[in-house]
Amino acid sequence: MIIQTREISKRFGEIIALDGVNFEIEAGEVVVIIGPSGSGKSTLLRCLNGLEKTDSGEIIIDGIKLDKDKSSIHKVREELGMVFQEFNLFPHLSVLGNLCLAQEAVRKRSKPDAEKISLELLKKVGLLDKKDSFPNQLSGGQQQRVAIARALAMNPRIMLFDEPTSALDPEMIGEVLEVMKTLAKEGMTMLVVTHEIGFAREVAKRIIFMDQGKIIEEGKTEDILNSPQNPRTIAFLSKVLK
Amino acid sequence: MFLREIINWISFQLHILKNVLIFLAPAIPMTIKLTLVAFALALILGLLIGLARLSQRGLIKVFSKIYVDVLRGIPLLVQIFFIYFGLGKILNLDRFLAGVIAIAVCYSAYLAEIIRAGIQAIHKGQYQAALSLGMTPYQTMRYVILPQSLRIIVPPVANEFIASLKDSSLVSIIGLRELTRAGREYYSQYFVDFQTWLVVGIIYLIMTLSLSRLVAYLEKKYRVHGFGIPH
Ligand SMILES: Nc1ncnc2c1ncn2[C@@H]1O[C@H](COP(=O)(O)OP(=O)(O)O)[C@@H](O)[C@H]1O
Ligand SMILES: [Mg+2]
Repeated sequence: MIIQTREISKRFGEIIALDGVNFEIEAGEVVVIIGPSGSGKSTLLRCLNGLEKTDSGEIIIDGIKLDKDKSSIHKVREELGMVFQEFNLFPHLSVLGNLCLAQEAVRKRSKPDAEKISLELLKKVGLLDKKDSFPNQLSGGQQQRVAIARALAMNPRIMLFDEPTSALDPEMIGEVLEVMKTLAKEGMTMLVVTHEIGFAREVAKRIIFMDQGKIIEEGKTEDILNSPQNPRTIAFLSKVLK
Repeated sequence: MFLREIINWISFQLHILKNVLIFLAPAIPMTIKLTLVAFALALILGLLIGLARLSQRGLIKVFSKIYVDVLRGIPLLVQIFFIYFGLGKILNLDRFLAGVIAIAVCYSAYLAEIIRAGIQAIHKGQYQAALSLGMTPYQTMRYVILPQSLRIIVPPVANEFIASLKDSSLVSIIGLRELTRAGREYYSQYFVDFQTWLVVGIIYLIMTLSLSRLVAYLEKKYRVHGFGIPH
């Protein structure tokens, strides 16, 4: 198991964002998380890489237990790449600068090494010609592909995606999903929050449905999509699949 | 006849203005030095206090808030008196040092607020992205947040710099011989008030106007090229 969580809970004041969440993910698996807005999906991903501290429960990533101490958080972050809904590229750096910064600062790669790796990844996401552009000169779809390349440059073993296509115009969703599908086919372990059911059907092995901070239902992709059991899952899917 | 009198009057006035200028000129470097030293110190203090204002630790947060509120609530002139006549007697500060400390401390409070606002204006997604890439909080601040904040911070900081140049004239009150003090000396010797203060004002104006032109130029330059690690 590359990701294991046991009974993780998290509250923000009165709001219970996560309420005893348990799940496991195997290396190489692609798992999609769905659920209504506010159900705790983003909080869950942020807890996995220590951007948010859990109140209770246990998270183990690739054998490393996520503790309060900084070194475990740091080790876990080296295993996990994260892609955000709003891309979060660094606006003051060029595309190449975005890809190189953490490689140099964290992985301690030399500048030529970092650039070489960056250029290969930009080629992979089809944006080699944009290496000197700045984020504000790119379309949303291009920015998100750069963000994916930036995360991959750190050689993560697992990629977390938090609604990577929700902020995109419809005509740009496809190009980002294509990159993600390629990654999935290469065997990357992926945990993806998305409402792109077509994507889930094509590459996800399992689907997890969350509501009000809990996992309500989980199972094989075709089982969840074709014959959901829980009434809340049924209600949610009927809305999304419409 | 009449024309000739006018010409005579004008040349006499020019003569006075020239004398004033010659008398004042040696005091200009002191105004510049006082402002530069004090503002450099204010920037360092302001950055530290501004970061302290954003600290998660209760005590640091409270202390820095008190610092800012107290210093912004007391007139600079009173702070100068306090530091020179109050603390100065105990610590044996000379006029220059007292003036530098008073301006630096006072302006650090304003700068701290500008720097704090500039850092807070950066979207939290930038922290999350940097941290998720494995960067330490220090690296995140240094390479991601501060370079972006700088663009927001530079224009108001430049305004504070210009303001501090003007406020440096307050230090004349404790007898430091900078531009304004030299003006008072000239006036008390020759009793030409209009011409004296006209020249003093114009010298300040030339300095502040050239500074604002410089700032406008720098802003334009950095808007194009950006800050931070170049690629
Ligand atoms: N930083 C935060 N401060 C306060 N409340 C938060 C914060 N982050 C999330 N929440 C709350 O926690 C709940 C779950 O949010 P989130 O994980 O963003 O849900 P989702 O991603 O499924 O839409 C929501 O009610 C949200 O308002
Ligand atoms: Mg979310």
